[in-house]
Amino acid sequence: MRQLTTFIQKEFMEVCRNNKLMICTIVFFLLGIMNPAIAKLTPWLFEKLSSSYEDMGIILTDVKVNALTSWEQFYKNLPIGMVVFVLMFSSIVASELERGTLINILTKGMARWKILASKGILLLVMWTGCYFLTYGITYVYNDIYWDNAIGKNLFFSALCMYLLGVWLISLILLMSALANHGTGVALGTSVVFLICYLISVIPNVEKYLPTKLMECSQIPFGRGTPDDFTYAIVIIILWSLMDVMIGILVFNKKNI
Amino acid sequence: MTVEQIKEVLPFLIPIIVAEVILLAVTLRHILTHENYKRGNRILWIVVTLVGMQFWGPILYFVFGKEDE
Amino acid sequence: MNILTLNQVSKSFGSKQVVKNLSFEVPEHIVYGFIGKNGAGKTTTMKMILGLVKMDEGEIKVNGSKVTFGQNTTNQYIGYLPDVPEYYGYMTPREYLKLCGRITGMEEKEIQKKSDELLELVGLSQEKRRIKGFSRGMKQRLGIAQALLNSPKLLICDEPTSALDPVGRKEILEVLSKVKEHTTVIFSTHILSDVERICDEVAFLHEGSIVMKGTLAEVKSLRKGTTVEVECAGSDETDRVLSLLPGGKRVSETSIIYEKTNQKRMNEMMKVLAEHDVKIQRIEMLEPTLEDLFVEVVSK
Repeated sequence: MRQLTTFIQKEFMEVCRNNKLMICTIVFFLLGIMNPAIAKLTPWLFEKLSSSYEDMGIILTDVKVNALTSWEQFYKNLPIGMVVFVLMFSSIVASELERGTLINILTKGMARWKILASKGILLLVMWTGCYFLTYGITYVYNDIYWDNAIGKNLFFSALCMYLLGVWLISLILLMSALANHGTGVALGTSVVFLICYLISVIPNVEKYLPTKLMECSQIPFGRGTPDDFTYAIVIIILWSLMDVMIGILVFNKKNI
Repeated sequence: MTVEQIKEVLPFLIPIIVAEVILLAVTLRHILTHENYKRGNRILWIVVTLVGMQFWGPILYFVFGKEDE
Repeated sequence: MNILTLNQVSKSFGSKQVVKNLSFEVPEHIVYGFIGKNGAGKTTTMKMILGLVKMDEGEIKVNGSKVTFGQNTTNQYIGYLPDVPEYYGYMTPREYLKLCGRITGMEEKEIQKKSDELLELVGLSQEKRRIKGFSRGMKQRLGIAQALLNSPKLLICDEPTSALDPVGRKEILEVLSKVKEHTTVIFSTHILSDVERICDEVAFLHEGSIVMKGTLAEVKSLRKGTTVEVECAGSDETDRVLSLLPGGKRVSETSIIYEKTNQKRMNEMMKVLAEHDVKIQRIEMLEPTLEDLFVEVVSK
């Protein structure tokens, strides 16, 4: 237990001292504030556009902005956050393998699974913090300027996207055990995601795939209900657990 | 834009500007206080940081340019 | 008791066999030199002892227990200093030792005490900076402190002196011979003068197998006294010696080397020189250097 807590502590010291914690916080803070900001600016942009269109004889009707406009932006911007997150942390294990910093740790009697577990816990905490920072900021601004009540199951749909991030983290851990370089990990994670995305064009398979959860952005608009996502949620949780378990088994037998 | 409209967007604008400035300052400071980079050179990273859209410049630097410690 | 035993260990990477049927034992409380050229299989052997690399065949025992690949429990007896030790650059030496101490399961108080002691030993006790600003020599010294933290029974050092300047090398060697009282030291190197300075036993590794091993004295005696050097008082005298004792090789104006001789032959030579009253400055049986041995063994 002490090995695990010590190494988790080390991981947190690392993200604090190499600026990654701060950068992630700022990026997800910006992503959060951008959503209501864009919603707020939309009418003004339309006004600008329509006055120039009027000269050409086209009349644009006034746009109505509400909390849902901002939530729409939230789901549009989240993939950016995910890309940033994967990019920043894909080499969390690989950089240690490349440099050989784990050799000292392992020869001190560290259990290998605890290394992967510590990194997994750090990523989970980082993702949870970052994600709900974005969610919280968007929610608070929306509540001040408009009314969140018009969106249905806001928290549930946000939770779906959160789970998608958790799944990506489990893929990072699995790929870290398989690949030796950060680029390999980022590539492997993206390829799995892409394959899921491509397979999801098959109508009957779609509802079982993790990528199904991306559609949860439609729930607040009343399109689709939480029940539609039951299969995908169960599968994504099982899949994530499996990734971590396979990752640990592979990592245990890795030449370091 | 009228003064009224500007006043209305200030609660968005100020936090965004503050966050961007912090990000930029931290990144530039890191670039200037380090001699060696994983890839590229100092000029390149300063340019990337400055012209990078929103936060992409700093992120590219910290992912691809910053030397491992 | 032997602290380390290797029995018929082999390892290949792809089609290249880097370690072939390697067997040797290391008794306790000595400094064991593991000598070989770059690529002879030293690092691979060490990593197998640590369970970091999987061996194809054979058995390794540390302190009587078998080494297993992956989760290796025998590592609790071992301290390891890699050839290029890498640390978390954002930590200070003290923070790093604390991390290592906790992982290895030491009490907080003991970590504190040991850290002070070891940082003093390796001369880093005044260092407040983070590790990223350290020189190679400082990193190597911190590596020794880190390796000795859990008072290991066996200290394995992979080329600890290769990348250092003469001062740094001397410091490391001093530390290594100092710790001999408490622990057994194995260190690999290709710098033979280091071996001569501190080793008790040596093994020469060449292309994955041991070509020669034994105590330093034993190894040296394998070639002991086969070369005699005669230094004469002047050029004329040298000519005389050569005519009296043919078979020598003149290596300079006044000195001659006789190879493949022995003690008896040397005495005869002295008798001849005395009878003819040759003016000799020096006659010496040359000690073979490890360098010669190494070259001879490797070129076989």
